[in-house]
Amino acid sequence: MFYRLIGLSFVLMVAAAAAAPAFAAGDDTPQWLLQAASASAPAYDKDVPAVVLLNDQTVTIGANGLIITTTNYAVRILTHEGRAFAVASQGYATDGGRVRDMRAWLIRSTGNVKRYGKNEIIDRVSDMDDVYNESRVSLISASDDADAGMTFGYQVTSEERSLFPQDEWIFQDCFLGINACLPALVSRYQLMLPSGWSASSVTFNHNNKLEPNVNGSSYSWQLINLPPIAPEAASPEVTSLAPRLAVSYFPAQAGGLRTFSNWVDVSRWYSELSDPQAAPDDALAMKAQQLTASAKTELEKIRAIGRYVQGLQYISVQMGVGRFRPHSATEVFAKSYGDCKDKANLMRAMLRAVKIQAYPVLIYSGDRSYVREEWASPKQFNHCIIAIKVSDETQAPTIVQHPGLGRLLIFDATDPSTLVGDLPEDEQGSFALVAAGDQGSLLRMPMTPPESNHLERQTEVSLAPDGSINATVQEHSAGQSAARERGMFRQLSRPEYTKMIERWVTRGATGARVLKVEPKDNTTDASFALKVEFTAPEYGQLMQNRLLVFKPAIISRRESLFLTEATRKQPVVLPPYAYRETANIKLPAGFEVDELPDPTKLDTSFGTYSTTYEVKDGSLIFTRTLVQRASTVPVADYQKVRGFYERIRAAEQSPVVLAKK
Amino acid sequence: MKFRSYLVWLMLVVVCLVSVSGAPPVAFAAGGDEFKEWRPIDQSVFNLREPVVEKDADAEALFWEVRMADEIERNLDSGTVRTVLDHYVRIKVFTERGRESQSKVDIPFGKNEEVKDIAARTVKPNGQVVELRKEDIFERTIVKVSGTKIKAKSFAMPSVEPGSVIEYRWREIRNDDVLFYERLPFQRDIPVQRVKYYIKPLDLPGFGMRYQTFHGQGAEFVKEKNGFWSTTMTNMPALHEEPRMPPEDEVRTWTLLFYTPADYERDPNKFWAKHGKLIYDKTKKYIKASNEVQQAATTAIGNATTDEEKLQRLFNFCKTQIKNTGDDASGISDDERAKLKANKSPADTLKRGMGSGPDIDLLFAALATAAGFEARVVNSATRDDVFFDKNFASSYFISTYNIAVRVGNEWRFFDPGSTYVPYGMLLWSEEGQESLVSDPKEPTFVKTPMSPPEKSQEKRMASFKLSEDGTLEGDVRIEYTGHFAIEKKEEYDDDSPAEREQALRDMLKAQMSTAEVTNVKIENVTDPAKPFIYAYHVKVPGYAQRTGKRLFLQPAFFQHGVGPLFTTSERRYPVYFHYPWSESDGVTIELPAGYTLDNPDRPAPFAAGDMSKYDVQILTTKDGRKLIYKRKFFFGAGGAVYFPTQGYAQLKQYFDALNKSDNHTITLKQSAEAAPAPSN
Repeated sequence: MFYRLIGLSFVLMVAAAAAAPAFAAGDDTPQWLLQAASASAPAYDKDVPAVVLLNDQTVTIGANGLIITTTNYAVRILTHEGRAFAVASQGYATDGGRVRDMRAWLIRSTGNVKRYGKNEIIDRVSDMDDVYNESRVSLISASDDADAGMTFGYQVTSEERSLFPQDEWIFQDCFLGINACLPALVSRYQLMLPSGWSASSVTFNHNNKLEPNVNGSSYSWQLINLPPIAPEAASPEVTSLAPRLAVSYFPAQAGGLRTFSNWVDVSRWYSELSDPQAAPDDALAMKAQQLTASAKTELEKIRAIGRYVQGLQYISVQMGVGRFRPHSATEVFAKSYGDCKDKANLMRAMLRAVKIQAYPVLIYSGDRSYVREEWASPKQFNHCIIAIKVSDETQAPTIVQHPGLGRLLIFDATDPSTLVGDLPEDEQGSFALVAAGDQGSLLRMPMTPPESNHLERQTEVSLAPDGSINATVQEHSAGQSAARERGMFRQLSRPEYTKMIERWVTRGATGARVLKVEPKDNTTDASFALKVEFTAPEYGQLMQNRLLVFKPAIISRRESLFLTEATRKQPVVLPPYAYRETANIKLPAGFEVDELPDPTKLDTSFGTYSTTYEVKDGSLIFTRTLVQRASTVPVADYQKVRGFYERIRAAEQSPVVLAKK
Repeated sequence: MKFRSYLVWLMLVVVCLVSVSGAPPVAFAAGGDEFKEWRPIDQSVFNLREPVVEKDADAEALFWEVRMADEIERNLDSGTVRTVLDHYVRIKVFTERGRESQSKVDIPFGKNEEVKDIAARTVKPNGQVVELRKEDIFERTIVKVSGTKIKAKSFAMPSVEPGSVIEYRWREIRNDDVLFYERLPFQRDIPVQRVKYYIKPLDLPGFGMRYQTFHGQGAEFVKEKNGFWSTTMTNMPALHEEPRMPPEDEVRTWTLLFYTPADYERDPNKFWAKHGKLIYDKTKKYIKASNEVQQAATTAIGNATTDEEKLQRLFNFCKTQIKNTGDDASGISDDERAKLKANKSPADTLKRGMGSGPDIDLLFAALATAAGFEARVVNSATRDDVFFDKNFASSYFISTYNIAVRVGNEWRFFDPGSTYVPYGMLLWSEEGQESLVSDPKEPTFVKTPMSPPEKSQEKRMASFKLSEDGTLEGDVRIEYTGHFAIEKKEEYDDDSPAEREQALRDMLKAQMSTAEVTNVKIENVTDPAKPFIYAYHVKVPGYAQRTGKRLFLQPAFFQHGVGPLFTTSERRYPVYFHYPWSESDGVTIELPAGYTLDNPDRPAPFAAGDMSKYDVQILTTKDGRKLIYKRKFFFGAGGAVYFPTQGYAQLKQYFDALNKSDNHTITLKQSAEAAPAPSN
């Protein structure tokens, strides 16, 4: 049904494009657009698809809480593929928000102007897959008409009601999926406040503090000539690269709107919203008791409840107040589904039922550098996890010390693959708000060491004189390495999982026949084990009937970083990870080692790598060990980090040469 | 040529007209208690621990029933038709993955469609029933454009856990619609223990409903109460996806429902004779040679003397002198396309110098007629949806058109209306297919030829220098012809040069992560006839592996980093290649100073009868400084592109052998004078 849904939507979008009107006279083309279109832009790299000539957003705050936003936007298409950026887009929520007006224009190279109006507006759900979500988006697409050299502009006016007098503005058009931003010539955010109101701001990802132009109760922030941010492997998220403005505004008189002057204010606000929802009822409490009946320790109790809550289905409920406030724990328990805040809240209620205290934690999922201390605002978060108060008996890499609340075990009940004692990689090291009323505060989340995320592999291989092999691979992973393995195992059906393992093995050993695949998800210690047995004909190549050549690194590592570009613009971000393999390769009778690769030993600030080769009792013992430290490697050191991974790749391609005795 | 049969639509109109004008009215009668109430759940369902139909399934439908009734609105002068469908699905969930995939339900509906009476419930393993609350059914406007909406009713099943049974039912009404060429699937995304369709056709004098089941047996319809007929299939496995599998409806079980007039011709021979005559009558005026066409043909043919030369020139004329307005790379914008007037004749196409694909095909036919050839419009089957069987007396599956020209005693087939299809070829989906050559007296089926492997070739040449550190550097040129070229051109003709270049870089990086590519040239992307060409300079550090005294080199540069074609040991469906192809590689590698070849051997040649052959030559220049690697491979000769599942192991073994041979490594040894002096 899903495909039909997509298909039908696509048909309508195509229909909208086909229904576009013929060229209209350009006499209603706004002056701001004509002026923007005449601007000259610097020469960018040839793969920069478009440049934003003007992005001018005016936000008018009504004393009644109504917010009217008008955006004037102009983009010049620089390449054929830049057509995709000839799109006007405005999101809104149906409960209290709407798009009042949307118009667009395409200025051709000849000067002809094509106009787009309400007949071309496509209004659709924001997320096809979210059943309960009132977020929608209105858009006009001129992609089919646009091409390099043309300027597309639009004006959109929308209205909404915000719960808090705060706003965020990113000065560049950024695309999270490809982690890139368009360059911008003029990017301006204007705030029109009722008389007597005032505003303050903080700027992130920008070298200098950006001061607004203030005229009475009108504020204006502007940046010009912002360079493009191109996608690069393992780069910081664009949310940490593109200049971002955070604004708070204040009524002339206190009261009415909820304001936040510090993080405790935000903590109080969220505690007020969520605490009443965390009350357990008898059924919930009974379930919590039942789940923990056989638990002997505090950690076992937390694990039992954590596993249960993680096992509930994730269904996002973004309707009305449900966008902020969790549904009551009893309701989520009864329905057995909910979103992140529902899950954190249910877990909190269940822990309370077994006399363990916990607090909701607001965090930003997707960029550990996103949340900044300088701006106390709920708008910095998009995710909710949990902090569990633990005694000294509980030990785990994800325990942090809170100045007022003591030892807190941090846990994400939404990620089904990251078990208690671990934390998703993108949340580690991030600032997050522990919502504990007056005691709440912003806290740095724990960062686990490489050893906590290790993958250990033991390979036993028997090499025959004809080059064929029988092999057994046993892997044991922990932390985020285990989470990745677990994620694949749970996501795929058993036949699909087996096929995936077959693809992985045959990639290294052509024609391999996989005899056994035994995955084991160990939820008690949060590890994951995998045993694979396979045979492969002619793995080693027999040359001139006297040399037998083979690569001892038979199957690839699971994690590989390819830094293929010669130059770099952004730092390289490396997560903590460790890997070790010992391969015991029984050599065929009648052969002796003629050549072994030189051992490798690399030692850098961001990681170490080594290989060793030893012949002992008719076997070759090959080891490879990688320790990758959580690092942000500056651009100046790019060649070092690139060279590091290239040398690893080369080392793992190195063959062993056997010769007939 | 891609114009679909208007006859299908003609029949639809006929049925609707009849239903309005002559049919006795019937009541809106679809539905019944069994679709309005929950049916009891047997204890055995709760006891079920594992799926019945398919081992390892995460969820399994215990039954999936749809009741479909075509109806005519009562007592209205301007009567209308509609189809009422009652759905009832019961699913047993076995795993968390099954819960994830089955718990969210979207029921989309469009204009003239209604979805109502939704009911859903979860029955937990302990028998506890959790009903879906009405307020938890959310109607969403998925997309809205100019007043047209696609909506969906969506809900999440409550309290689902492994072991639960979930069931839901709803009524769907399609207004102004009847079951005309309706495909009833018996295989879905999860296995189903019992699929049952109830059908109630319109009671139309002079019309009847027919059905045909594909890839399945036992789908006979039996009479039910209230004028319904039903068909049931049991233990239907899920439809899975596999790489290189035939089209979905060639592997799954389904039934086609359609109405036919009472005097419908059931004898296939007679049906096709009638159909072929109808096409001839409808198209003959379009292939007549007017004076303008006659003159154009004469000019285009020029001094050509043989039939082959004449046809080739007419074909080239259509390709190069007439702009194809349907082509996305024609430079015609959507606005301009919308404004274009339809060509009413080949003379119009000629005069305007532009036309749609069908216009260009018809012009070619008219030009050929003008040149003295016998030309016809042919109705062609395709093999990208369902493989055509002419024993099925319906034009539903024979949906595209090409041009046939008689040369000597045989019909030759042409499609100049498809921009990149070369002379003598058709689109891959139309090759090796039955085509009905229209005729006023005796229409006949003729099978279109399948282009042999050499027509679709990937020809790769490279000249490299190998450094003693293993770096390989040099120039590469790749030419694609035939179906390869059609696919490449269709893929890239609408992209910018930068985008095409990036796609090439990405492709190479996927093969060789360290490759540095410069001087990229991509030629003939929009040329209708010339080969599609890549040319570039590449440097690959670490291409050859160096040990203390040797360098190990894979001479098959173009296959470096390419994995085996088939990676899984099990296969569910047949393997289906779209077309036969061939590969021809020539790689020259200048060896590093101080290294010599150590008796390079070549991988042994092998073949699969006449269908496929692999052969490699490894040569050296007289001075021993250059290695010359020549590789030739073809597959699918004789039109062998379809391989039943039973032959999968053998086929996999063949392609594994190919991959092995392509990974063949040769040794370069350090010459004595170049070796470093031993140290103490």
